[in-house]
Amino acid sequence: NIDPASLLPKLPKPEELKPFPTVCSTLFRGHEGRVRSLAIDPLGVWLASGGDDGTVRVWELLTGRQLWSANIGDEEAVNVVRWRPGRDAVILSAAAGEDIYLLVPPVVDPETETASRDLLDAGFGYATNATQALTANGQKKEPVAKWTRPGFRLEDEGVLIKITVRTTVKVISWHRRGDFFSTVSPTAQKSAVAIHTLSKHLTQIPFRRLPGIPQTVQFHPSRPLFFVATQRTIRSYDLQKQELVKIIQPGARWISSFDIHPGGDNLIVGSYDRRLLWHDLDLSTRPYKTMRFHSKAIRAVKYHKGGFPLFADASDDGSLQIFHGKVVSDMMENATIVPVKVLKGHKVKSALGVMDIDWHPREPWCVSAGADGTCRLWM
Amino acid sequence: MADSGAQSSRYGPVQVHFITNSPDIELPEGKRQLLVPTNVRRYGLSQILNSESMLDTPAPIPFDFLINGTFLRTTLEEYLTTNGLSSETTLNLQYVRSLIPPLFEASFEHDDWVSCVDILSGSSRAGTWDGNEVAAGQERILSGSYDGLLRVWNKSGQTIATSTASSAGGHTVSIKSAKFISPTQIASSSLDRTIRVWKYNEAEDHFSGDLKPVLELYGHKGGIESIDVHGPSNRILSASTDGSIGLWTTLKNSAPAADSTFLTSGPTAKRRKLTTSTSTPQRGPLSMLSSHTAPVTAAIFNPLDSTVAYSASQDHTIRTFDLTTSTLVDTRTTSHPLLSLTALPGISTQLLAAGTSARHITLLDSRISAQSTQVMTLRGHTNKIVSICHDPKSNYGLVSGSHDGTCRVWDLRSSRTGTKDEGNGLVGEAVYVVERDSQKGGKRPVGGEGIKVFGVAWDKDVGIVSGGEDKMVQVNRGRGVTRPDNP
Ligand SMILES: [Mg+2]
Repeated sequence: NIDPASLLPKLPKPEELKPFPTVCSTLFRGHEGRVRSLAIDPLGVWLASGGDDGTVRVWELLTGRQLWSANIGDEEAVNVVRWRPGRDAVILSAAAGEDIYLLVPPVVDPETETASRDLLDAGFGYATNATQALTANGQKKEPVAKWTRPGFRLEDEGVLIKITVRTTVKVISWHRRGDFFSTVSPTAQKSAVAIHTLSKHLTQIPFRRLPGIPQTVQFHPSRPLFFVATQRTIRSYDLQKQELVKIIQPGARWISSFDIHPGGDNLIVGSYDRRLLWHDLDLSTRPYKTMRFHSKAIRAVKYHKGGFPLFADASDDGSLQIFHGKVVSDMMENATIVPVKVLKGHKVKSALGVMDIDWHPREPWCVSAGADGTCRLWM
Repeated sequence: MADSGAQSSRYGPVQVHFITNSPDIELPEGKRQLLVPTNVRRYGLSQILNSESMLDTPAPIPFDFLINGTFLRTTLEEYLTTNGLSSETTLNLQYVRSLIPPLFEASFEHDDWVSCVDILSGSSRAGTWDGNEVAAGQERILSGSYDGLLRVWNKSGQTIATSTASSAGGHTVSIKSAKFISPTQIASSSLDRTIRVWKYNEAEDHFSGDLKPVLELYGHKGGIESIDVHGPSNRILSASTDGSIGLWTTLKNSAPAADSTFLTSGPTAKRRKLTTSTSTPQRGPLSMLSSHTAPVTAAIFNPLDSTVAYSASQDHTIRTFDLTTSTLVDTRTTSHPLLSLTALPGISTQLLAAGTSARHITLLDSRISAQSTQVMTLRGHTNKIVSICHDPKSNYGLVSGSHDGTCRVWDLRSSRTGTKDEGNGLVGEAVYVVERDSQKGGKRPVGGEGIKVFGVAWDKDVGIVSGGEDKMVQVNRGRGVTRPDNP
């Protein structure tokens, strides 16, 4: 008789996989109502957050001190905040309702502020808004997006550009070089996915037809590939050849989020039907591993991008789960995935728990945004 | 055997051997061995040592006793039983001047978070540099706040002076660090990326005074987390989130001109009036040292040689710089981001203590010749350690301030061998934990919310002064030194 347990691969114990975050080290309190989105800046010094109160805020990451805030939402929630990648400028993007804002929070030095403003302003020279296409019957076609100044009140606060699209923006995702970013407006039908070029103030709609309602998008970390998740599938497209490359089928009923491993060949997916899936893109279009640890929807998944083999998910059950996920270079060998820690503390409010997560660019620290109105830093 | 031995020795005598590292309180050779009853504790042993037949001290010195690196906190009897020792054993008792429990003395209230504190007294650094004098009773506490203001307090908690607002030459946003350079000169640094040097004047009656800006220093591209000063050479060192260390002079006429790119305030700052419009002279750095790869959290002068600087960074390293040539001399890499730094001048010229984000303090021997880098780890804090200061009375003591809402007092003589999980090596535990008085014995909040300590200083005359998120400057001080304490 063979003990079946002895045939299972031996997984390392969590304590052998340190470091990973274990305790809540800082609380960020100030938002009224849910915090929907948050992001740590590329230098790892500031935390940006946005929430139902219509404000975008920037905090000192280690102390939890709020440094700056602007009300961009008016009556609308801020659904997403994302920093532009790169260290040449400090630019934060945020979306409330159908407006996307590009801003330079006044926490930076004059030289960087000037460089950042120059990057934002350069596109005004292209005046793309002026060259509107005409429809067949000779009427002016409504542009897919309008790039404008948001008005003196916001400009005084450092909010410098407003891009208005047709319906509510839920997702912003930057290309690593910092000139393109994509947004998702799930209810916009044909124009649900838009790609914006910062240097030209140009907005383009890359897909004439979409196979479902887009949920979220991401640029590949190194190749010219673009990933679009609908409720059930994730498609990767070659942006240069303008063709579909692959259809990934996680087997989830409703995808909420996904993230691409910095190595580029692996992918994690989170779903509202409580599934967390790991895909090896070399191996199959089906998941290599399916996990169901949470009792409620998973809203966000994210890989560490600064050298630690870590990833995390965030759930409406109020917890985050931290995983060790080591990708091996050997094509034949699969990634080692070990759940190492459940981080609890966020209170569940109106059936919503943790809305968003991000990792520190260098350290094994993560941050979470809660429906309870707090952000938390975990170390 | 141990059991029956312990039974029969109850309240019987045990042979002890008194030893010390301090020559001034050493016993004569013939008096070091003694039979003492096993029911004595620290206080009893301290009385024995102070007695006429032993040290015969004119005024009693409170002593603490270390057995095998651990402070005696029970009776000798309990110690023998706990360690399974028979009363036949000769106990080596290392005696040291007692660390007095730092009891709460006072709190001074601010309008906003207190980011840093410093102390001026007759025994403080700025009080003892050439030509400086501070009369007893005229000690001063300096605090910097997130409201952008500096305050100078007397020991009774009266504000003697508050720095000018940004419209009159003050910092435009939060202050992060402030130090006395002399009884009449102060330096401060801020998230506004500047260092400001202030002239401090007190009125005749010492109950009022003013803080006037005399110099603005520009050159950092990020907030300045921490500064150190050296009065005799008029130098300031700064540590910034931009990853660089600045060396500056407080002398207007020998300071280089400020680079105009740093002086131009950005459009947003201009519109929001976050600029100062005074005639305070503006200057640049003597040098900028940019070798760290992440925010620098502390830069200090070697207390024994002001031409040498040490820095601690979130890049996990402690670096040594030769300031005369502006060169990097040494880099020591640790396992965690470092958030605070102090030098312990008494033990070795280069023993450094660094507070980490990983909730412990790393002690490093930064001498290039040192065989092993890591000397000891101090454990017990439950959150980031962001401020650290050495004990002015002991070469072996230090105090740390943490986002867990406590200050902890450590004695390096007290140590044990760490567990495997602690990475083996020598581990020290806190001798005293100083809580926030504002917390009133409540439960420790998650993430230290509301009670984080941001700055701590320790002075022979004033005691332990700390400031934090509770908007309080808190003073703790050892009192009642000859009273028997609890185990
Ligand atoms: Mg593979």
